[in-house]
Amino acid sequence: MGDVFVLAEHLRGELREVTFEMLNKGLKMTEDVGGELYAILLGHQVSHLAEQLKGWAHKVLLVDDPQLENFNSEPYQVVLSHLIKHRRPSLILIGHTSFGMDLAPNLAVELGFPLITDCIELRWEPAGLQATRQIYGGKINAQVSARESDGYLATVRVGSFSAEQGVRLTGEIETIASPLAEEIKYKRFIQYIEAAIAEVDITQAEIIVAVGRGIGEQENIAMVQELADALGGVVACSRPIVDKKWLPKERQVGTSGKTVKPKIYIALGISGAFQHVAGIKGAGTIIAINKDPKAPIFSVADYGIVDDLFKVIPVLKEKVEALKS
Amino acid sequence: MDIIVCVKRVPETAEVDLAIERDEKDIVKKDLVFDINEWDNYAMEEAVRIKENIGGTVTAVTLGEEDSRETLRRCLAMGADRAMILADPALQGSDAYATALALHQAIKKERYDLILTGVQASDDGYAQVGGILAEMLGIPHVTMVTKVDIQGKLAKVRRELEGGLEEELEVELPALFTIQTGINEPRYVSIMGIRKARGKEIRELMVKDLELTEDEVGQKGSQIHLEKVFLPPVEKEAEIIQGDPSQISERLLEIIKEKGGVI
Amino acid sequence: MDFELTEEQRDIKKAAKEFAEGEFDKELALELEREHKFPWDIWKKACELGFIGIHFPEEWGGGGYGIFENALVVEEFCRVDSGIGIALSLADFSSEIILRFGTQEQKKTFLIPITEGKAISSGGFTEPDHGSDITIMSTQAVRDRDEFVINGTKTFITNGTIADFTIVLCQTDFDASPPYRGQCTIIVEKGRKGFEANEIGEKMGIKMTSTAELSFRDVRVPVSNLVGEEKRGFYQVLEFFDESRIEIAAQAVGIAQGAYERALNYAKERTQFGKKIAQFQVIQHKLAEMATKIETARLLLYKAAWNFDQGRIDPKLTSMAKFYAGRVAVEVTDEAIQIFGGYGYTTEYEVERFYRDARITEIYEGTREIQKNTISSAILGKLK
Repeated sequence: MGDVFVLAEHLRGELREVTFEMLNKGLKMTEDVGGELYAILLGHQVSHLAEQLKGWAHKVLLVDDPQLENFNSEPYQVVLSHLIKHRRPSLILIGHTSFGMDLAPNLAVELGFPLITDCIELRWEPAGLQATRQIYGGKINAQVSARESDGYLATVRVGSFSAEQGVRLTGEIETIASPLAEEIKYKRFIQYIEAAIAEVDITQAEIIVAVGRGIGEQENIAMVQELADALGGVVACSRPIVDKKWLPKERQVGTSGKTVKPKIYIALGISGAFQHVAGIKGAGTIIAINKDPKAPIFSVADYGIVDDLFKVIPVLKEKVEALKS
Repeated sequence: MDIIVCVKRVPETAEVDLAIERDEKDIVKKDLVFDINEWDNYAMEEAVRIKENIGGTVTAVTLGEEDSRETLRRCLAMGADRAMILADPALQGSDAYATALALHQAIKKERYDLILTGVQASDDGYAQVGGILAEMLGIPHVTMVTKVDIQGKLAKVRRELEGGLEEELEVELPALFTIQTGINEPRYVSIMGIRKARGKEIRELMVKDLELTEDEVGQKGSQIHLEKVFLPPVEKEAEIIQGDPSQISERLLEIIKEKGGVI
Repeated sequence: MDFELTEEQRDIKKAAKEFAEGEFDKELALELEREHKFPWDIWKKACELGFIGIHFPEEWGGGGYGIFENALVVEEFCRVDSGIGIALSLADFSSEIILRFGTQEQKKTFLIPITEGKAISSGGFTEPDHGSDITIMSTQAVRDRDEFVINGTKTFITNGTIADFTIVLCQTDFDASPPYRGQCTIIVEKGRKGFEANEIGEKMGIKMTSTAELSFRDVRVPVSNLVGEEKRGFYQVLEFFDESRIEIAAQAVGIAQGAYERALNYAKERTQFGKKIAQFQVIQHKLAEMATKIETARLLLYKAAWNFDQGRIDPKLTSMAKFYAGRVAVEVTDEAIQIFGGYGYTTEYEVERFYRDARITEIYEGTREIQKNTISSAILGKLK
């Protein structure tokens, strides 16, 4: 009772940061009610990752199988449900990532556990698991509780908890024979496809002027480009701009795009959904212009302007140019 | 190829200043504009494109209030052949699980080779319905799909990972895909489409038609309960710069220079 | 009695709104306005989606809807952008004369290309000496075996320089009494020898729409280009005005709505004297009046359009709709500029363009004075 499983997420031989974030949170959750923290590592020839996880959990459960080499929700689900049915943890934490989103709903149905997705906070209440999550694109928080159950699943938003190690644990590695009897073949991994080589590398830029939905129309990007040129910077964007094909994918900042670390990041008409904000954590100074005073971007920006960006940008551009000449 | 697309009617909130209802259970919706969930619009477009390329039928299905008929009419005008609405009052308040259960009951009797949903809805953002539905139906699924290529009884799909990376998978049909935005460019609704939609059927299914009891759906059948909604606490507050565009620009220039701008 | 749009009408309105908001680009509009260019690309797309000729029967490539639905589309287009909206709304200008009075052959030849985005139409009624008064035409069409020979000048002709064909009101019977009983309408395709079109010069508004002077010098067209009966031209044009006035009223309501919404949003954002300007009663009352006027104009427009589609042509009602909606468009756009203050006087905030474009709705297709003539003569009858 009270045991917490954390599914270690790894890609191409490296553990992803969300794993450590979940382990930190998982440890606190076990301390609250008593129980052990398990890091669950599924893969093929990943004992070096198991070694790395030892210091973060009371126990590392390792399942090695060639079918687990690349993430695939089908074999993962078979192995995880096997482990969970045998070990009966109270809570399973999975990253709210592409991997986790592909796996968690199906696993929850199979186990008959309630699932709370995209959590930014989790706690035990007498009646069971309670979580805070964001709705309406991060503009509103919701406090939700799951029905009473022996076990719960939760997916955790990347960056919600610290990845810095507190107490170093001395977990032991337990290797478990793979329960995969036959090849699972409904869904077959073929290959990874890398992002196209960028014409402009926004990850190396020192000044970025980024546009979001608030730019309104494709033609307005020209005006932003002029400002970026005047500042000696580059133009980047949030997801909706790429979806509309107004800028190429390589200009996208955020979870599914690039992580940037400029000295100055100017966000124009970007609301600040967490997927975008995750990509600008390394920025020096963030300046945001948005019409909506409650836009989440203002809680990550250093400087905010609540105004129509179309009024400010041309004037700013002129002043920059005047200063340079 | 028979395709079923699950859609949802949601309020447009991206550029709206939201307020919270007095009972703290929801946002104030009375002045909001509602439309098809953005992800579902891409899913609908993808379904119609597949039908146009290789033939077949497209059925749109939604769970929502009577107003959701508008969203179904939009789907019919985009090219769906028929639609189903699950508007029984007992279904309202369903969480992702109860929603998927009701959809499962409606869909399991239909013919389908492919089921498409959006990755998530822009309102509650659970991103669960697709996966749960696939599990209940016992068919493979792929989430966050950015490309679909049907090859007979197989589909070659791409799904989005993080950092610009994608993976390519081969999946046996029938299967369920949750569609990511940007996979295509959804069409505008045409006048001809609206005219054709007039003659298409929207079938209404009640809880009893779904062979469910009222305890299995709505809030009673839900796994997750909403306690309250609130505005996110402000962890860090940006220094707000005020003034006319000229004053704002002057201040911005100072900041840019101070922070290492190359002026 | 039911004041609600049908589901299908709501869907049409929403489709028009979505298209206009997606395609009518402010920067593009400013550029087209500066360069006096018709929005060709947007027009093509609007045709592909069935917005142009929505009121034509499906047989002729149309949507099979009425002019009520056309009015809904025009209103939404003009709400999003007055200049692009008007240009698109008039792309099929006067083609209704062929639709109502033409032969099957003429409909096939001229209407289908309109809906397919292959042709623009135009109507030539006004003459340098006969503006609002079309009871006598100086432009003459003389029968020469199986051809008409046309001579004369038309002015203020919408789409004149870009139209693929123009429906020209001509005098054919010079002895008819009264003269209007001797008029006919004839289709003149562009490129006919002796036909020339020239822009009339710089205008106050509707700069994306061509307004031209047409000259006809021994222009020969086959007799098959005659629309309907030879002596009925005047009556055809009058009937067409009942239809076109509804369309202009829809433009006016859309322009007013667009300017009002812009002003409303601005009033909620703009701070002066430490308050949002929408918190000042003077602004609140302006907005209240604007909203009330628009609602009234829209009700008149809807009633006139609905009546027309019911087959009840009521010149008094269409004139009321056009006169009132035009007035409201000018008043509301004027107030919108006032709410914006100095910014409203710049091109950047669009309302000055809406104002300039609104002004034409009180002039073309019968000035507001002509509308009042129609209304008063219907009210008073023949005074003894």
